[in-house]
Amino acid sequence: MLQILADGLVIGSVISLGAIGLSLTLSIVRFSNFSHGELLGWGSYLALSALAVFTATRESLAAPLGPFSFGWGLLGALLVSTVLTALLALALDQVLFRRLRSQGAITLVIASFGAALALRNLLLFWYGGVPQYYSQNLQIAIPILPRSVWGGLRVTADQLLVLALTLATVTALHLFLRHSTLGRSMRATAINPSLARVAGIDPERVLRATWIIGGILAAVAGVFAGITVQLRPTLGVDLLLPLFAAVILGGIGSVWGAVLGGFIVGLAESASVSIVGAEYRAAAAFAVLILILMVRPTGLFGEKH
Amino acid sequence: MQQPDALPTPALVVDTLEAGYEPGLPIVRGACLTVQRGEIVAILGPNGAGKSTLVKAVAGLVPVSSGRSLLFGRDITRVAAHRMVFEGLAFVPQTENVFVNLSIAENLELAAAIVKADRQERLAPVYAMFPDLARQRSLPAGQLSGGQRQMLALARALITRPRLLVLDEPSAGLSPKLVGLVFDKLREVRASGVTVLLVEQNVKAALALADRAAVLVEGRERLFAPAAELLDDERVAALYLGRHTGRQATGALH
Repeated sequence: MLQILADGLVIGSVISLGAIGLSLTLSIVRFSNFSHGELLGWGSYLALSALAVFTATRESLAAPLGPFSFGWGLLGALLVSTVLTALLALALDQVLFRRLRSQGAITLVIASFGAALALRNLLLFWYGGVPQYYSQNLQIAIPILPRSVWGGLRVTADQLLVLALTLATVTALHLFLRHSTLGRSMRATAINPSLARVAGIDPERVLRATWIIGGILAAVAGVFAGITVQLRPTLGVDLLLPLFAAVILGGIGSVWGAVLGGFIVGLAESASVSIVGAEYRAAAAFAVLILILMVRPTGLFGEKH
Repeated sequence: MQQPDALPTPALVVDTLEAGYEPGLPIVRGACLTVQRGEIVAILGPNGAGKSTLVKAVAGLVPVSSGRSLLFGRDITRVAAHRMVFEGLAFVPQTENVFVNLSIAENLELAAAIVKADRQERLAPVYAMFPDLARQRSLPAGQLSGGQRQMLALARALITRPRLLVLDEPSAGLSPKLVGLVFDKLREVRASGVTVLLVEQNVKAALALADRAAVLVEGRERLFAPAAELLDDERVAALYLGRHTGRQATGALH
């Protein structure tokens, strides 16, 4: 029981971070970006490459830090990956979406399908289809509660760190959107792009910021998926539908909605694994989605216009 | 119109402007206007005359196909909409003119931050001018009534310290009492030295407020005269009727 909750929160962390980026793109760039999941996949592999470079130059960077399975090298690789993934998102916009923006949302959606296929197959081409790991170190889950208490609870230090860093990232983003001029400009552009222009907000600057933030969060989510599960080129496509489910659940354009939606989808997936079996985990997210939308069609935090 | 050398550069010159949303389908068809510094000019005219399109074209929101607009002598015809506040032009749209997901304070602080101005220095005088907004500053703008929204939209524009304030139908949807309050604020704005250009449906109230008014028909100004003269000029009504009730107008022509 408790174990389902803990596992759900870890899966939920990855989905939440990915869903925020997707939600921002939806509300600011105004289209459903089906290639967003691939940014998570790329984020995870770009960190793998950076890690390989780091550990090749200095062996000690691979040494595990305290209770964690990874060393300083992966934290450095995470930073490198956030920068590269943000650049990838910007490049994708420059090369593809920007040119098609005047054609309308449907064209952008279809283009994003194409981008997703291209990005995923490039990953497969470069890194191969065999799942990989950041660290070969085995990590023993720490028993927090014995089996006698609600089925017991075991977590790894990695999982706790992932959860803590997710909450820290989301809080930082919340403060950014709430208090910084660029953050407020993003919120203003999301709700009323025409008034934002009149008010003096450069729409291109806001779009760039959106891609950069979406890319950074995708990289963090991808690395977290790599740490807690494994790296595989299909990460993007596997996560795509849960990401959309989380965004719609939480309400389009709401950061906290995407976070809550992500955790709900994560919990539903982890519960379904132990209740109906792993084969049906993808269906679980949608069962929850349908249920909530029947009660609240705008999503949990959806704004009514 | 010849300008004597002694007169200062007008606040705004609209010179045979042609503008519209679709290429080849101009809505504004060669409109000419001159707004002198420190005056309030109202643009009147029947529905579909292109009043809103004209001010939106000046504000950079509608593509201009020919002609030009000069703001204090500077050509702003090709300036992007988001650069207009930096040229000294603030535009208040007719509807959806506040950010409903931001609080009153956030709306105003954002306006100050965009023009890179000191927040307190800009907000204090505006709060003094709009005490109702100051009292409710943490309230989301989406919860404001129509009149309060119009005040916030006006306040947001004033934060940027414009030299020319352009408003698209500030009285739309407001009760006569609220229209009076909004127009009183515009008189205060003029008194502070800001030039005002507004589009209005409410002819009587607009002519009482404005120094001069233009009547726009089919994308061109047909009359442009001091407001006091237009107040009892039959031609104003005729221009409106010519559009609205075609039968009477053709009857009159025969």
